[in-house]
Amino acid sequence: MNTILFNSIWVLPLLTVLACVLVPATYEKTLRTIHVTSATIVLAIVCYLTYAIYALSGTPTDPAAAPLALRFFTDIPWLSMFNAHYIVGADGLNMLLLALTAFIVWAGVLVSLKIKGNQKIFFALIQLLATSVYGVYMSFDLVLFFVFYEMEALCMYLMIACYGSGKRDYGGKKLTLTLAFGSSMILATLFGLYFESGATSWNLIEIAKTTLPMDFQMWAFPLMFMGFAVSSSLFPFHFWSPDGHSAAPTAVSMLAAGVMMKMGAYGCLRVAMFLMPEAAKIWLPYVVALLIFNVVLGPFIAIRHKDLKYITAYSSISHLGLIFLGLAALTPIGLRGASLQMISHGFLTGLFFATIGMIYERTHTRDITEMGGIMRKMPFLGVGFVLAGFAGLGLPGFSGFIAESTIFIGAFQQDSTLTRIVTILAILSITTTAVYILQTANRMLHGPLPQKYESLTDGCFREKLVIVVLVACLLFIGVCPGWISELLDQSIAPMIRW
Amino acid sequence: MFNIPNFILPDVLLLIFPFVVIGIRLFVTTQSKVPWRMANIGFIAIFFLLNFIPLASGNGKFFICNWKVDDFGVLMREVLMVSALLGMWLSKDYFEHGGDKKPPMHQIAEFIGAIAFATFGGFTVVSACDLLTFFLGLEIATIPMYALAAWNKRDQYGSEAATKYILMGSVATAFELFGFSYLYGFSGSLHFNEIQAAVASGSSPLLWIAVLFLFCGIGFKLTLFPFYTWAPDVYEGAPTPVTAVLSVTSKATAIAFLVVLVYGPLSPIQDKMAPLIALLAGVTLFVGNLGALKQSRLRRFMAYSSIAQAGYIMVALLGPATIAKTAIIYYLFVYAVSNYLAFFVFGIIGHHREETFQSLRGLSKQNPSLAIALAISMFSLAGIPPLAGFFGKFHLFFSGASTGHYALVTFAVLNNVIALFYYLQLIKAAWVDEPDGHLNPLRLTKRQREVIILLSAAVIVLGFLPFLSNNIFAGFTN
Repeated sequence: MNTILFNSIWVLPLLTVLACVLVPATYEKTLRTIHVTSATIVLAIVCYLTYAIYALSGTPTDPAAAPLALRFFTDIPWLSMFNAHYIVGADGLNMLLLALTAFIVWAGVLVSLKIKGNQKIFFALIQLLATSVYGVYMSFDLVLFFVFYEMEALCMYLMIACYGSGKRDYGGKKLTLTLAFGSSMILATLFGLYFESGATSWNLIEIAKTTLPMDFQMWAFPLMFMGFAVSSSLFPFHFWSPDGHSAAPTAVSMLAAGVMMKMGAYGCLRVAMFLMPEAAKIWLPYVVALLIFNVVLGPFIAIRHKDLKYITAYSSISHLGLIFLGLAALTPIGLRGASLQMISHGFLTGLFFATIGMIYERTHTRDITEMGGIMRKMPFLGVGFVLAGFAGLGLPGFSGFIAESTIFIGAFQQDSTLTRIVTILAILSITTTAVYILQTANRMLHGPLPQKYESLTDGCFREKLVIVVLVACLLFIGVCPGWISELLDQSIAPMIRW
Repeated sequence: MFNIPNFILPDVLLLIFPFVVIGIRLFVTTQSKVPWRMANIGFIAIFFLLNFIPLASGNGKFFICNWKVDDFGVLMREVLMVSALLGMWLSKDYFEHGGDKKPPMHQIAEFIGAIAFATFGGFTVVSACDLLTFFLGLEIATIPMYALAAWNKRDQYGSEAATKYILMGSVATAFELFGFSYLYGFSGSLHFNEIQAAVASGSSPLLWIAVLFLFCGIGFKLTLFPFYTWAPDVYEGAPTPVTAVLSVTSKATAIAFLVVLVYGPLSPIQDKMAPLIALLAGVTLFVGNLGALKQSRLRRFMAYSSIAQAGYIMVALLGPATIAKTAIIYYLFVYAVSNYLAFFVFGIIGHHREETFQSLRGLSKQNPSLAIALAISMFSLAGIPPLAGFFGKFHLFFSGASTGHYALVTFAVLNNVIALFYYLQLIKAAWVDEPDGHLNPLRLTKRQREVIILLSAAVIVLGFLPFLSNNIFAGFTN
């Protein structure tokens, strides 16, 4: 039963799209109802399964998936020519990321109910994007994984270019093409992985059991790691993210920054580092050097920007840099921290972009110098924004604190001067983060209220609901991180092979 | 009477059939739809006949020619039949709604007849097992295309295109014939089996000259670098259905020619030819992709896109026989469907407007279903999953990588990003640009809508539903 429910996570959004094909585009209310219902059902299923995984911990996992601790494991032959199978399974790590995705998709659908343009196509694209993200986190077959991973490109461009704002065509193209560049690098190495390992299938677990030749690993690992890192905006492939996010409509920014950028980091951990541990050990110190840009310079750039979405995008770049710091630490605690940061940052950036979108809908500008005193007119949205900011700068009590401190501990454990120096710089950069967040909140929310904003109203019920739910998630992870750490540790332990 | 072996039956039917269609048109009125209906029924019947594999495979002598119809032959015929069928539907569209320059309706019988002859040529290429039959097949496949390209006699660009095509094609034929003559000189036989034995027993400069000339000759037809330059002009000048047939049937025939040679008589030196194939593949797909970047006319754009696709197909020729043949056939299927979908959309646009990117402006607002179909076909050609084009390219790259050509595969995969860029340009015109009031409104007939929905569904489903890919593969491994 649980296995069927698990498989339905990615099937349901797809079925929703098919069902909506039959509904004429003019029946907007029906369409919205269908999509909200579907997103809510998926959210319920994912929450239930996350609980089920937690409740089951300690019991033996599926032996077919050993050494990984997977449950709800499904393995069906798919494409016979290259032995691709349909393999999905769940452990703590991907289940939590699925839960994150379900929350963000649900919130994304709710915030975009009033989007202008052809709603039928927009919601269909959101559901397709959701399918792709769910699929990436669930699949353990490399072909299946890649199919889902690359699917996003199809949806992202259309959503940004058709429903976005500002330089939407430019932003959309930049985002899509850069991500496609990353996935091309991944695809190129996937063939190598399959043939060099001599495995008879693309099953991740089976390939992990073989020993890949070292000279292959040495060129394949950096190619694949950077390919994944493109979508997590690791320097020097970060340039797509500010333009892409700022051009995208609210829901797409939320999904892109909240869950899609985690797909890259997840791929780095699950595929690149898991399959090529020897090369990971050699190459990851160089990645640490790249992080200086992400973690240290990212916040400084954010200080100088005036556009809310640019600020948030650079803040995301710096937070995602921390994920890579955790990964590059190569210690269990570092990996746990990285995974925690993926989840935590997903919620917090989702909240950020949601509130920014709501404020933008009212003020029609994202330039913080033109705003002021918004707190008086929109206290609820203002508080939501400030709370997201607090979580972002790592205030204890919110999830960001737990994740970041775990990463710092993990990274400092590594016996390398460079990593330690970068860790110290990263810790110091929290101050810079505080500067831009407080400065933004101050300029936007306080001070004199411009005349034209006199008639603004606070969030409506559905907007408040989104903010409350996302804040609750942030607090929940921040206050009781124990069970999450437990789930993560169980799933990370078998993946440490260096 | 003739003793017709079973396996040759579809070919013979396809040969008789255009005469029947053209003959019927002598006895009906000029507006009659009977020839078209006949053609439709005939093509579909032959397609189903082909699926009856026990009937369709075998080998023997018929007239003076040696025939060998194996699984590759049967599957390749199905590809060619799909292309012919879709080409015929597209011609119907063109003859009914094709704007001012369209030829009179009663010519459709000859038009379809020419497509059928070209398809028959393709049939012959895939089932020949001596050089003579092989060459005949290639010529039968090409000559009707010259006539088709010149169909609009009064159109200046059409005539220019046809002239270019004939000149270039003849030169290519000369190259091939020259290559064949050296191959014959080297082996002393026309029969493939004996040539293969001679090639296996030792190579000589004579053989390599033959190989070089063969690749040059087929390079023209497959639009490989540096012989691709005719393609954009011809694609633009010819009528829409001809362009579509040219980009699918001709290309399929040319690649089948290469497959037959590389895995047949030349198979002993396949690994020695690998650098040549890899070079041609890499340069062709790069040049095609670069050329497409700056185009603003739809059919020139499709020409460069199909040049790039030819490069991608060449990548598969580096692999072992079973994998490469599966990959190529599967790719040709999905390429045919995606390409025809694009040409159906462009055809509808061309009936009412000029065929440029400008004419696509605001398509998503005026006619969302057409814009969706366009996006599906473009994303499929760009190789974005879960559409069929991605799985097609995956097959091709898999074949290339299976013999360790990682560098070429990496290059080809990275080239996909350039490809995605220009396909996005087209999608941008249709989806992002604001509608232009000066453009003529588009009208879709019920039949056009049905065809577009059918093809879009096929592009979506053929990819991730494994039946097509798995069946083709099973056909080769059994």
